[in-house]
Amino acid sequence: MQYLTLQNIGFATGFILILIGIWGFLTQKNIIKIIISFALFDTGTHLLLVAVAYIKDRTAPIIDSSVNSANAVNEIVDPVPHALALTAIVIGLGITALMLTFTLKLFKHKKSLDITKYKDLKW
Amino acid sequence: MVDPIHIISSALGVAFAIGIVGKLGKNVTIAVMLSTLAFMAFISLQWFMAFFSGEQETTQIFTAGFKPPISINLQMGFNEALFTLLVNVVGLLGGIYLIDIFKKQSKNVLTVFLVLIMGLNVIIMTRDIFNLFVFMEIVSISIAGLVFMDENLKSSQAGLKYLIATSVIAGMLLIGIIFAYYFTGTLNIDDLIATNLTTIKGGGIVVFLILISIILELKPFPANGWALDVYESSTPGLGAIISAAAATASFFVLSKVMDIAGQEWYYYISLIGAITFIGSNLLGLKQDNAKRLLGYSSIGQLGLLMIILGFRDILGDQTPYVIFGILVSHYFAKAGLFWLSGIVKAQKLTDWAVIRKKPFFLFLMGTFLFALIGFPPFPSFFAKWTLVMELVGSGNVTWVIIVLFGSMLEAVYLFRWFGYAIKGENEHLEVFKIDLHKMIPVWIVALALYAVGYFTAQMTEVGATINFIPLAFVGVLLAIDFLPVFVKNTIAIAGMLLHFYFVYPDLDDIRLLFEVIFIIGGALALIAGYAYKGKRSGFYPVAILMYAGLTGIIEASTTLEFFYGWELMTAGSYFLIIRGKRSMPHGLSYILFSIGGAYALLAGLGMAHVGHTTFGMDILNNIQYLPVWAYALIIIGFLTKTAALGLHIWLPGAHGEAESDVSPMVSAILLKAGVFGLVLVLIGMGAENNQYEMLTYALGWLGALTVILGSIMALFQEDAKRLLAYSSISQLGYIVLGLAVMSHLGWLGAFTYVINHFLYKFILFMTLGAVVLRVGTHNMYQMGGLIKRMPIAFIAVLISIIALAGIPPLSGFAGKWLFYNALIAKGWYFQGVITFISSGIAFLYLWRLIHTVFLGQLKDNHRNVKDISIWFSIPIFVLLIGLLTFSFKPEWVLQPLGNMIAEFFPTGQLTWNGGTAISQYGYWSGSVLGITIGSIFMLILIWLLVSTRKAHKVKQFDITYSGERPERPETTHVAYNVFEGVYKAIWIATIPLVETFWTRVTNLLHDTAGFTRRLYSGDGQSYMLHIVVFIVITYLVIIGG
Repeated sequence: MQYLTLQNIGFATGFILILIGIWGFLTQKNIIKIIISFALFDTGTHLLLVAVAYIKDRTAPIIDSSVNSANAVNEIVDPVPHALALTAIVIGLGITALMLTFTLKLFKHKKSLDITKYKDLKW
Repeated sequence: MVDPIHIISSALGVAFAIGIVGKLGKNVTIAVMLSTLAFMAFISLQWFMAFFSGEQETTQIFTAGFKPPISINLQMGFNEALFTLLVNVVGLLGGIYLIDIFKKQSKNVLTVFLVLIMGLNVIIMTRDIFNLFVFMEIVSISIAGLVFMDENLKSSQAGLKYLIATSVIAGMLLIGIIFAYYFTGTLNIDDLIATNLTTIKGGGIVVFLILISIILELKPFPANGWALDVYESSTPGLGAIISAAAATASFFVLSKVMDIAGQEWYYYISLIGAITFIGSNLLGLKQDNAKRLLGYSSIGQLGLLMIILGFRDILGDQTPYVIFGILVSHYFAKAGLFWLSGIVKAQKLTDWAVIRKKPFFLFLMGTFLFALIGFPPFPSFFAKWTLVMELVGSGNVTWVIIVLFGSMLEAVYLFRWFGYAIKGENEHLEVFKIDLHKMIPVWIVALALYAVGYFTAQMTEVGATINFIPLAFVGVLLAIDFLPVFVKNTIAIAGMLLHFYFVYPDLDDIRLLFEVIFIIGGALALIAGYAYKGKRSGFYPVAILMYAGLTGIIEASTTLEFFYGWELMTAGSYFLIIRGKRSMPHGLSYILFSIGGAYALLAGLGMAHVGHTTFGMDILNNIQYLPVWAYALIIIGFLTKTAALGLHIWLPGAHGEAESDVSPMVSAILLKAGVFGLVLVLIGMGAENNQYEMLTYALGWLGALTVILGSIMALFQEDAKRLLAYSSISQLGYIVLGLAVMSHLGWLGAFTYVINHFLYKFILFMTLGAVVLRVGTHNMYQMGGLIKRMPIAFIAVLISIIALAGIPPLSGFAGKWLFYNALIAKGWYFQGVITFISSGIAFLYLWRLIHTVFLGQLKDNHRNVKDISIWFSIPIFVLLIGLLTFSFKPEWVLQPLGNMIAEFFPTGQLTWNGGTAISQYGYWSGSVLGITIGSIFMLILIWLLVSTRKAHKVKQFDITYSGERPERPETTHVAYNVFEGVYKAIWIATIPLVETFWTRVTNLLHDTAGFTRRLYSGDGQSYMLHIVVFIVITYLVIIGG
């Protein structure tokens, strides 16, 4: 039971999401599903970040009424990974949006979302 | 100096401001963006200059008022300044190039472009690994976004694949970064290096994830299909940015992050680099799309850079120099080629033939291709030289083979492409339009290649001694290419004679002899050029390039200078050869054999350098590291130029199809470069050294077989110039055999052949070339009876074939006499018999040559041809006088030659009694022999004239074919297939085994490439699979294995 800490659960969930994501973009033929797989993969990495930051019995790194600002360092979890997670989420958003834009363009060309239909460039 | 942070702030500021500035109109916005890029380039340049002068020390730039690890820090050192300079310059030029697209597209494109360049700057400067991740993602997003500049079905597919692949790679990087932070509590790259992550439990996997993601960004083979598609389908302006700027920045990232992993990773980085370099260039062989080809080549070059990076411990101080040379050449050349592809607008390689409708563009293309392959004077030449020297010096011969093999593959497809451009069909293609804003960037990078090449040479002690004056002369000729032939011809001849005048006092006897053949002979050959009318565009620069190389190898005092001259000569002669009408395939095989030979030479020179501190030519006299192998490699290098059996298949086509006055240049003169090299090496091996007996023995047999097979092949040619070409192969075989004897007489014989072959092959090629200009065909059966129309040509050919056949009294006999003496003294009887038989064969093919062309019936359509041009006759008769002098007063030449050779082979000299030479087997006098045979000849001639005075002359139309016209008229010609009977006896010797062998090798490579590239199925999903499998296999090899 000693391994069943909140942090380890975070790690495990994160990795499971990452693996589902990898499985998804290796097996799904539908471009939208591939993008969703990527989003899962991405979320998995975000979870890992949060899990890394975790310190038992501490609160979120937001200085508000629940945190004594003078002693914040000892009351909040590691803020750095949280900052990273925020950045990563923004980047993930940008990438997903751009992927969807490409999908839209492709769909307009061939009226299909099947990635195996788009093999005009090869060899 | 401007703080480097302003590179980022100005880019970011303007990128945001474009939203507002955009209201002022497209042109203003574009101007603002370009000036921002110029400002960024200026900051980098300023820092680069400061570092270069040595006054500046590396500085850290802290953000947000904290020190790392709390905040992100950037670093500006020499490397960062250089790399940001490269990125910003190509950003600026690329921006200028893209102006027309910017005008058509929304202003957001400008923002994305600016952000892309800024992102590249940050990933170069940042010392924070998460920051690195963020900006790598920003770069990916901007590149994918810029794909929309030219949106179509293909580019959208490529963009999507690219985006999916790079985000997964970045995801892997992120996981690595998360756990690096988890284990160490820092994101600062320097701190990560200091903590030595690999020693921490689980740290190995973290390091693996970080490194493998960054390696994947460099598009390792075969997990790189996603990148190739972008190269192929996106607009060329973007391809240039990806290939030149993004790849350069990614490479720099690997070089700074790889220290996190430590030295055990170096080997694997080199290994991945090697697989990429070979794999990519192999697949390039099957490409017929120009942009995809450039993609393969870009990826290959990155592989080469990875190899070098992995060897940075071994290369030591030389690492930056080598990396700089390769990287900068690739950077300029690839940007230039991508931009060119946008101007020329030819997709298929064969369509690039259109480029020569604007010859200046052909020159630009040639500049870029030669820079990529590593020819002088470009930086890559000096870098490759240093790389090979260092790799061999540290005992990594296998790696040298990998590097040279990969480069060879690259040369194959690049030169094939160039061949299409120079010679392909282009009548059906429309001339391309040129926009000034697209031209300027291309000009600048081409010019920069030359400038940086000169600068790179000055950076090494050896390179600085290289004489660039002949090359500058080539530049001058290029600049005055618009002038008419006679002006340029005069300038070229004057330049060569002037050069000779300055150089000859410092040369020793052997070098002087070859310099006379190369430069005086070359000037003589140029005289024939007066016969041409018009401009003869492009001829003079390349001819002088070849002569610059030839004089370069003579004057070389270091092995680097020698190799430099060798490569210039190869480049120049390639251009000369490919000028012929049907020379495209022959030019290709010539350059490929030459490059292969040059690489063998390079490896051999590298081995020769081991154990020596200098690069002086005298290191050839004392090779310490695997001397037999080193000598063998160097000899093979030279044998490709002398067209020894097995390496000869380029020669017949190259010499046969060349222009009339080029054939003597590339035959009588150029082939001697290989001989000169052989002479140097064999002197180095020493006369009495038993260690190399096997080597010279093998060389002797190779020479003997070349002699006989060359003459047999000459026997069955219908094409006069090809006949002469095969005869050259055979003659050069004599020289190789003579040198291999390694005795005084052998060498005397060989040198006699060198002079003789120069004289009579010059005359023969010149004369027949002039005849071909008049009658318009090479085929002998289409000529005949030309003695009546061209008596001058007839006399020239008659005298020179008597000399060539070795019939007394002319000088060919002197060579043979010395030669058999030497072979008998050495005890090489079999070789002697072979060459003896081959003299008989030579007689047969020469008889056929003169009989078919000059005797018999004059063809109807040749009734009014004039004798050969006076400009061709002048050099021919100058050399005829030389030939006759040599024949009747051989002692004038042979005695000084003997003294020269006695320096190396003092025993077994000829004894001279007046004009009579005495060896241990007999004696011979040129003058006496001449008078005797001359008198007998005159007597027979007089008797014939008297006895046939009443004979009835048969007119041409005295014969009929029973009123029918034969289906193939040439079969009725007496000389057509005249040696059919002989053929039945010795056909077995004419099976083109060697050609079949090389064809099989080529096919094998192409088939492998064709099969392997099916890996790139076009399916975005399988590219993901490649990435995952690549990661798993690398993991198993590095961590699991």
